[in-house]
Amino acid sequence: MGKKEAFEKMSEAVQEGDTETLTSAINDVINDTDPLEIIQAGMMPGLKKVGEAFGAGEIFLPEMLMATEAFQEGMKVIEPKLLETGQEVKSAGKVVFGTVITDIHEIGKNIVITLMQTHGFKVNDLGANVSPTTFVNEAEKANADIIAMSSLMTTTMTYQRDVINYLNERGLRDKYIALVGGGPVNAEWAEQIGADGTSDSAVGAVQIAEKLIAQKKGGAS
Amino acid sequence: MVNFIDVIDRAATGPMMSQKDFDIKVFIPALRRAIKKYDIKFDRKEFVNTDDALADRIFEAAVDFYSEVGTYITDTERVIRFTQAEIMEAVEDAPREAYFGEGPDRCVMKGRMPDDNELPYCHVGSGTNTTEENALRLVESYARISKAKTISIPIINTLGHIRTAAGAPTEVFAAIRSIQYGREGCRRAGRPGLGIIDHVSSASTGVSTIAASAPQFGARPSDGWLVAPFAELKTDYSSLNQTAYLTAWGANIGQEAGPLLGGYAGGPEGVAIVNTAYSLHGILVIRATYHLIYPIHMTYVCSSHPDVLWATSASTQAIARNMKVPYYTLLYAAAGAATKMYFDEALACLLMLIASGSGIEDVHPGKAKITDGCTPVDMDFTCQVGHACRGLTRKEANRLLEKIIPKYIDKLAEAPAGEKVNECYDLDYFKPKPHFEKLYTEVLKEIKGEFGIDLVRF
Repeated sequence: MGKKEAFEKMSEAVQEGDTETLTSAINDVINDTDPLEIIQAGMMPGLKKVGEAFGAGEIFLPEMLMATEAFQEGMKVIEPKLLETGQEVKSAGKVVFGTVITDIHEIGKNIVITLMQTHGFKVNDLGANVSPTTFVNEAEKANADIIAMSSLMTTTMTYQRDVINYLNERGLRDKYIALVGGGPVNAEWAEQIGADGTSDSAVGAVQIAEKLIAQKKGGAS
Repeated sequence: MVNFIDVIDRAATGPMMSQKDFDIKVFIPALRRAIKKYDIKFDRKEFVNTDDALADRIFEAAVDFYSEVGTYITDTERVIRFTQAEIMEAVEDAPREAYFGEGPDRCVMKGRMPDDNELPYCHVGSGTNTTEENALRLVESYARISKAKTISIPIINTLGHIRTAAGAPTEVFAAIRSIQYGREGCRRAGRPGLGIIDHVSSASTGVSTIAASAPQFGARPSDGWLVAPFAELKTDYSSLNQTAYLTAWGANIGQEAGPLLGGYAGGPEGVAIVNTAYSLHGILVIRATYHLIYPIHMTYVCSSHPDVLWATSASTQAIARNMKVPYYTLLYAAAGAATKMYFDEALACLLMLIASGSGIEDVHPGKAKITDGCTPVDMDFTCQVGHACRGLTRKEANRLLEKIIPKYIDKLAEAPAGEKVNECYDLDYFKPKPHFEKLYTEVLKEIKGEFGIDLVRF
């Protein structure tokens, strides 16, 4: 199988969430192809198409989850080669993402994380019931660009403010982009607590993340 | 029906797995199989399902799906499962009526059928949130709506200048005060026995719910307590603790769930099955005596989108025809309060529910994202539509929705924010402010002129 054909197969396999076909296509070319090229030319185009289809409402979370699962399985095949060559996958930005303390609702967070991954973000999912110190310590460890906080209830969204206050207390507020989201969260709340942005939708959240990362890195807004 | 103690035992002994495996390896594949096996298809030719055979297949699919998937317990990482025989026995044994309130205000919520001439159950007020200073007046304004059989009381977000926080003492205080304001508001409206069926809305934890439910603060077993899952088909010991307490007290328990269209349930077909499966989870795990569903579209954060309307109509009919349990539905409008678009969306939602066999409640303005974003006018409107449209058939509803939906469908993504209650409604005199009064009068006139629905202001 030629490289071009293998890359097309990988892209399709990612879109269909077909781990078996994906890993087989990767194995076909891995010994004589740059691992970064496999990711960029083979797997990422498929993931990007999945993200676009989700944004257009053509597919839903299950299809997107299956695609990212397949992508991650594919990465497991490629990672030893990356280590061997000392290469690193360039990400659109590093994110630590969690549902705030006392709140164990995860679906909103999981949707945004999955969509972010299709857009090339490297996301560290902290899970639910995440304390302010955990958010900040994990962001420090990961050298993250973004701290993203989800909350489903009016009584838990107050803990988004605690994370931002804790960043201020540690003198780290300017180091991170702070995004908030969830059922009751709106722009008024985001502004009130000093967050950098929020969105009603997963697509909007990714757009804001991209825009703020570009601004942070001095690119176009 | 399987005893609740046995359910608790299964929570501690059922198959163990991670949440991620439950979502990806169990829930999603089982739902896909059920959609295919039972041939569940939304052909987009109608907004309100009119196919009884399809409604029945959705019920069969839900039984099959739920027997395979069960309910995930986050604390134990185990799954409670039931056989199809156990599920069908529970359906047979499930309460068909729920009694709320006391004295002259006592009422019954029953299951209805599609195209039913029975008056839809009219409930108002669910899920609103407010400040402490507005809470009492708001409850009184809800309780003044005479056609409302029961009310919900708002979530209190602040105690004075302090914002309430889940799990903190502020939440316990807010939960207790919300019940005290609820009872007092009903007394002030002259309806002291009115049932409040969303206890304890200000509490997100079991401890706050149980603390605030102590009878000295005003809660009665003839009220109702909503016990919510996590998306999708997951619960925890905090929720099961609430059920344990309420079951021991003999109080009404409401199963509530808001499946996300676009989330784990996927599209409209999946949401129709999951909506229905939640009622099975409700009677078996939560021991529900009544049921509330509030599906929502992930992208538009509202329920007035045709995909959600169809999924809700189909699952409502599946439940009505095969379970006959007391059932009502909360839907969300994208447009905020005191806007023309809100009333268009609300009318579409309510007509679909009435024709499909559900009880109704006020459609939430502004995606329920705005503190003090609901008004008593929305609630009054709901009851008016419920009374004016009893007996509406699904075919008639479809004809009306064909005219209503084009009024708002292209504006869902950029819906107007609307106003807060204090901006458009006078809580001292319990009436809309002049600009809202004018808008509402025009809305009623348009609905009468265009659709022949004559809404009387109570």
